[in-house]
Amino acid sequence: MPDPVLQVEDLCVSFTSGGVTADVVRDLSVRLDGGRTLAVVGESGSGKTITGRAIMRLLPRGASARGRIVVAGREMLSADERELRRARGSDVAMVFQDSMSALSPYLDIGAHIAQAVRLHDPSVTRRAARARAVEMLDRVGIPEPAGAVRRFPHEFSGGMRQRAVIAMALVNRPALLIADEPTTALDVTVQAQILALLRELQREYGMAMLLISHDFGVVGRAADDVLVLYAGRQAEYGSLRDIFEQPAHPYTAGLRAATPRLDARLDTGGERTRLRAIPGAPTSLRDAGPGCAFAPRCGLADQVGERCVVEAPLPTVRPTSEGGGPHLAACHLDRLPALKEVAR
Amino acid sequence: MIVYIARRMVTAVFMLLAIAFVTIALFFGASKDPARAMCGKPCPPETRAKVSAYMQTDQSAVWQYTEFVKGLFVGRTYGEGAQQVHCDAPCFGYSFPNRSDVTTLIAERLPVTLSLAFGAAVLCLVVGIGLGALSAIRKGGIVDRFSTGFAMFGLSVPTFLVGLLVLQVFGFMLNALPYSGFVSFSESPTDWAWHLIGPWMVLSFILAAGYIRVTRTQLLNELSADHLVAMTARGASTRQVNRHAVRGVMVPVVAMFALDVTALLGGSVIAEKVFSLHGLGDLLLSGVNESDLSIVVGVTLFSAFLIIVGNLIADLLMPLLDPRIRRA
Repeated sequence: MPDPVLQVEDLCVSFTSGGVTADVVRDLSVRLDGGRTLAVVGESGSGKTITGRAIMRLLPRGASARGRIVVAGREMLSADERELRRARGSDVAMVFQDSMSALSPYLDIGAHIAQAVRLHDPSVTRRAARARAVEMLDRVGIPEPAGAVRRFPHEFSGGMRQRAVIAMALVNRPALLIADEPTTALDVTVQAQILALLRELQREYGMAMLLISHDFGVVGRAADDVLVLYAGRQAEYGSLRDIFEQPAHPYTAGLRAATPRLDARLDTGGERTRLRAIPGAPTSLRDAGPGCAFAPRCGLADQVGERCVVEAPLPTVRPTSEGGGPHLAACHLDRLPALKEVAR
Repeated sequence: MIVYIARRMVTAVFMLLAIAFVTIALFFGASKDPARAMCGKPCPPETRAKVSAYMQTDQSAVWQYTEFVKGLFVGRTYGEGAQQVHCDAPCFGYSFPNRSDVTTLIAERLPVTLSLAFGAAVLCLVVGIGLGALSAIRKGGIVDRFSTGFAMFGLSVPTFLVGLLVLQVFGFMLNALPYSGFVSFSESPTDWAWHLIGPWMVLSFILAAGYIRVTRTQLLNELSADHLVAMTARGASTRQVNRHAVRGVMVPVVAMFALDVTALLGGSVIAEKVFSLHGLGDLLLSGVNESDLSIVVGVTLFSAFLIIVGNLIADLLMPLLDPRIRRA
């Protein structure tokens, strides 16, 4: 097996404020090969974004990460400032959710891309870097790229801006792209275009992609594998097919049932269906008890009994479909009942 | 862009004409006749009428206004024969108590006001931006708490009180600074600065408050902005990122500064009074005290002119700093 582009081992991220420490990501392990897309799914506060930021060492003040993160052979957590700068934007790049705030209002589009080029190769002249910017804008499908480089972010539409952000991220051909909710701020048709563009460029460059999303629709269209996070812990990991067709964690099943589907009627044998909501809200990370973090919201916890409250489940191997990779779920239940029952 | 500048210039001219009219109407229409002060005591009615005619204060406000505007372009002549005085264009009026045209008076006082404004502007920028930036970088730290209090104090305490305190403490108690007087820069730069430290401190203390606040909030906004995180994600160093953050702070600071500095150039009445500096503010005050309306109108208009020019400069600078304000 080739070396993975991204390897995360036992990652813990904790926030300290006012003397209280809370783990927002706990014991996370991920392996991602070139050309593959891993979707990280979860509700707000599940630690998706923090995981993405931790990989680039872009954690906010007061947060610290432990464990091991290797990106393209580089140890990120022990890297010094210079090494980090070399890795950021070159080995690993990021696409942000809000393209408006991810671009500086004071620089034109070309300056952003040229900056990304020149930060990693100072020998490139300004003019050559601008030329690269034009090329790149053309590549991401922006019409009249030669004029577009001189426009400012506020003069672009949302979809165009996101394309520009992608151009900026990919100009140095990173081995790993972290896409943090890249389509959330866009309307549905543009979403589809941006996802298709990302997939296409991924194939072309052979890069690995970590797709952070809360939207199973997006995940279904773009991911190879899926990691479901709940309260900073790995709830379930598996191939897209396994996660969609035989989820082994009640939370995954609940998320699936909460996602609108165009083929919903066929699925239930023609019955009319309602979207299910997962009752309750994610528990506060500060007063996390010893048990399963999902237990208070889980419709199946009663079936297991006390164990869910006192013992945190560890990821265990689950059945996989043909050709699928490993399938792990952190649940005390060995088998989930049919989808319909899970999401009561 | 050229059309924009031209349009702003034309607006500015009309604005000045309007301000001139209001000032003249107010002073010539409502206050006592300056001729009375000039004719001395006793003042028989015939003499007074003569003086009044000589000073041209017997005419209506509208007449005064048209004469004033005409004077700006072609100059103005008062009286006839041996008593005739001429005021060259641009004539802002003639001060009879001072036996000098207002333009010359303003020009005489300008170096003092300029020195005062220059130093105060530099000091308030350094202190204001410096403290503001430091308190944003270490939010909640000692510097932050100190400068927030400092800003609050600066905004709420009147100038004369700060002025008198500085005089009392540095001038009289510590005997460290001269408490009045002005030495011109060409005479001795060190003495020039030495005599101005007090007033500079006072003015910049009052002005710095605004810059502390604006710099702090703006820098806090900028530092947490996603586009700076994105810049780090592209591989930029902390220094490069911070340098870029300054860009966002510059916009409101420049806007504020353009207005403050021109307001300072128009004369700071209170600080000049406290430190007995004979600048434009002092000139204005003496004009009011001696019912010398030409001076009042002249200095008021000169200040208005500076403020309008400052505004114009700010408006022209803004689009250069922030492309979002640029017009198509």
